[in-house]
Amino acid sequence: MSDETPLLKLDRATIRFGGLTAVSELDLEIGRHEMVGLIGPNGAGKTTAFNLITGVYQPTSGSIEFAGRPTAGLKPHHLAKLGVARTFQNIRLFASLSVFDNVRVATQLHREHGILHSLWRGKGFRESEAAVESEVMDLLSIFKLEGLRDEQAVSLPYGAQRRLEIVRALATRPKLLLLDEPAAGMNPTEKEELMHLIRFIQERFSISVLLVEHDMTVVMGVCQRIAVLEYGKKIAEGTPEQIKCDPKVIEAYLGEEEVES
Amino acid sequence: MLSTLNSRLSTSFAGAKRWLIAGILLAALASYLSGGINPYDRGVWIDCGINIILAVSLNLILGHTGQFSLGHAGFMSVGGYTAAKLTLVCAALVPAALHPLLFAAALLAGGLMAACAGLLVGIPSLRLRGDYLAIVTLGFGEIIRVVMQNTEAVGGASGLSGIPKLTTLGWAFALAAVTIYAIAGLVNSTYGRGFLAVSDDEVAASAMGVNPVRYKVTAFVVGAFFAGIAGALYAHHKQTLVPTGFDWLKSVDIVVMVILGGMGRTPGVIVAAIILTWLPEHLRVFAEYRMIIYALLIILLMILRPQGLFTLRFKKKGKEAKTLP
Repeated sequence: MSDETPLLKLDRATIRFGGLTAVSELDLEIGRHEMVGLIGPNGAGKTTAFNLITGVYQPTSGSIEFAGRPTAGLKPHHLAKLGVARTFQNIRLFASLSVFDNVRVATQLHREHGILHSLWRGKGFRESEAAVESEVMDLLSIFKLEGLRDEQAVSLPYGAQRRLEIVRALATRPKLLLLDEPAAGMNPTEKEELMHLIRFIQERFSISVLLVEHDMTVVMGVCQRIAVLEYGKKIAEGTPEQIKCDPKVIEAYLGEEEVES
Repeated sequence: MLSTLNSRLSTSFAGAKRWLIAGILLAALASYLSGGINPYDRGVWIDCGINIILAVSLNLILGHTGQFSLGHAGFMSVGGYTAAKLTLVCAALVPAALHPLLFAAALLAGGLMAACAGLLVGIPSLRLRGDYLAIVTLGFGEIIRVVMQNTEAVGGASGLSGIPKLTTLGWAFALAAVTIYAIAGLVNSTYGRGFLAVSDDEVAASAMGVNPVRYKVTAFVVGAFFAGIAGALYAHHKQTLVPTGFDWLKSVDIVVMVILGGMGRTPGVIVAAIILTWLPEHLRVFAEYRMIIYALLIILLMILRPQGLFTLRFKKKGKEAKTLP
């Protein structure tokens, strides 16, 4: 596979729920190490697009390719194995598990040991578990969560839960990370930190990022390219500067924002 | 202190095999010494061992994986009938000295047949959840019972009798130790944390590369395997099997042990299994009200201690959380 193959390619991807076309003929490409934003007013189909890419929904028509491979028929856990990881708009951590275990669960897809290993608990099992532990602790310490390893995940403060969700996604060793409104509910300082964090993640793990976000400062601040959705259709795509000046976008989105503020 | 101890244990489960060996040796010793206690008490203790196996194995399905199953008595009966039939047919062919070996084979056969049944029931769980799954497993248990009732090869409605008495206190507790080790070992591993993840949030688990279907079916197969072994022990303990002994109320009994002990908390479930085996023995006068008492117990538990009677871990965590600003 050459470097020119986009990591993710949506070709006229469409999904209908009964009479409602949630996403209509969406074309989108994400290159390697690229940071792309997906914006649009409420109900524009951003999260549905996420669910298409991650295999939660199958497109009614059109196709999606990941790393040159069609993803039709693949379930979310298959796509996770191929290298698509995500966070959720409303945080979905494993509530009964500790911080450590939340991340640990996400490492199991790259490990071969299954039932018999867990039952026999031989040398191979212990080594593998030790490797998992150091991998998880490394990740946790990058995001300054190592001190909270034995806390129950849902008892963490909101910002830390958001970070933990990102750590958990990174533990699947993704090639593409999808962030669904990571700035939701954050104050300006936290948003500033988040922008640093996203840039840092992309460099440190050299992955592509697709960011769905309402907050213009964050999207404009970190993305190289932005696609705008309205009523399930892509109405514009370009650099942050182009998007800022696009009359269609201003009409659909930014115009409303200015009236509000 | 206790909470750190518990979490350490849950991440490493260190020295698990030593505990298993200690448990089996203890069971053998108990079996050796149990000649002194009266046969009635010994019988109830064997019941305790069998119920521990049932409760701990259901805990994998219901507690850890969060799949509401009311079919555990069905799996138990599959194991019991398979093993009993095997020993009844082979007992005359095998010299008495080899009977423990025959028994071991019968236990394994019972477990394997029950595991196959678990696979069959696990498959609808691909599509169903919550109440719907409970109804399907309930139906499965009843189907098994009706099939047994109408199969002449296993005695029909009058059941099987004259099964050799091969279950001893040692067998029951050694196998209980094996069950506890197997389920706890399975769950306390990176692989096994997937069961809990599926139980917590299937969508998120799937997005993290955990295949929910695979985990759910695995839970059913492993849980059913041990329920089958428990059934085989039961058959060779009571020496008779009647289909009505495995109705859905038997499944409810086991569910109550798991809920009372705390879903997904193995030590609590073990304690609950022992208490709920001894309690009915002492309260025979109130036997008719047993289900009413169970229902009240569960309602009270849900209000007062939703985490289960015998768990300390989350109580401590809860207190810590409250002191945070």
